[in-house]
Amino acid sequence: MIAVYAIADHPGPPLPGRVDGLRVVPAHRLAAICGDVEEREVSPNALWRHEEVVEALMEQRDLLPVRYGTRLRDEAHVVAAVAERHDALLAALDRVRGATELSLRVAAPPEAPTTGGAVQRIHEHLAAQARSSTLLDAHESADLLRAAYLVDRAGGEAFTAAVADQQRDNPELRLLCTGPWPPYSFAAA
Amino acid sequence: MTTTIAEREVALIDLVDRLLGGGVVIAGDITLAVADVDLVYVGLRALVTSVATAEEKNMLPRMGSAL
Repeated sequence: MIAVYAIADHPGPPLPGRVDGLRVVPAHRLAAICGDVEEREVSPNALWRHEEVVEALMEQRDLLPVRYGTRLRDEAHVVAAVAERHDALLAALDRVRGATELSLRVAAPPEAPTTGGAVQRIHEHLAAQARSSTLLDAHESADLLRAAYLVDRAGGEAFTAAVADQQRDNPELRLLCTGPWPPYSFAAA
Repeated sequence: MTTTIAEREVALIDLVDRLLGGGVVIAGDITLAVADVDLVYVGLRALVTSVATAEEKNMLPRMGSAL
């Protein structure tokens, strides 16, 4: 079995030397970047190991991160899977080209007054500075907002400065911004 | 992405959201069924709680990333 990390342009830059076992499986203008099958266990360390591979790849290329845990029988199946949706995947890659993803979570102390309007304004303000944005499921957490913003690679600092401004203007809320991430939340083809 | 253990714990929630909920789906097997994914979130809840406690104690930066 083969694990698939990402879809990228083909041909592309050389694979990062510090990651063992990676290989490129071309399919027309795209390539699947694959590796050995990971452990089935879902532990924080396993997730971070996967993430480190994708981030190493992303240092040198634009890519569509593939859903964690995707595995195929052999290279022929990888080629078929990519070829089957080649044009949709290429269009999705074009949408994230030159960009990274920033994450924002907004929380408030339980005793805080209702802050839905403020949260919505924060999201709209940040979304206006991003190429694209999307709301994520809060999974029954107490978070008032989980969102992802697609930001040009060069625009990360300006975006986090905008988050800091929003934090200053909304001291009753807790804004937590992480990234840059590969564009997981914008990779749907 | 992040460098310290505390920052990694904060960012783990974001990592799980992205790896298990995002990414392009191509043909093939996904080793995690939807039910498994829910279990992962349940398993993370204790950790999330401990992180929230740490945040309340101002042990962590508000912007917990390497940006």
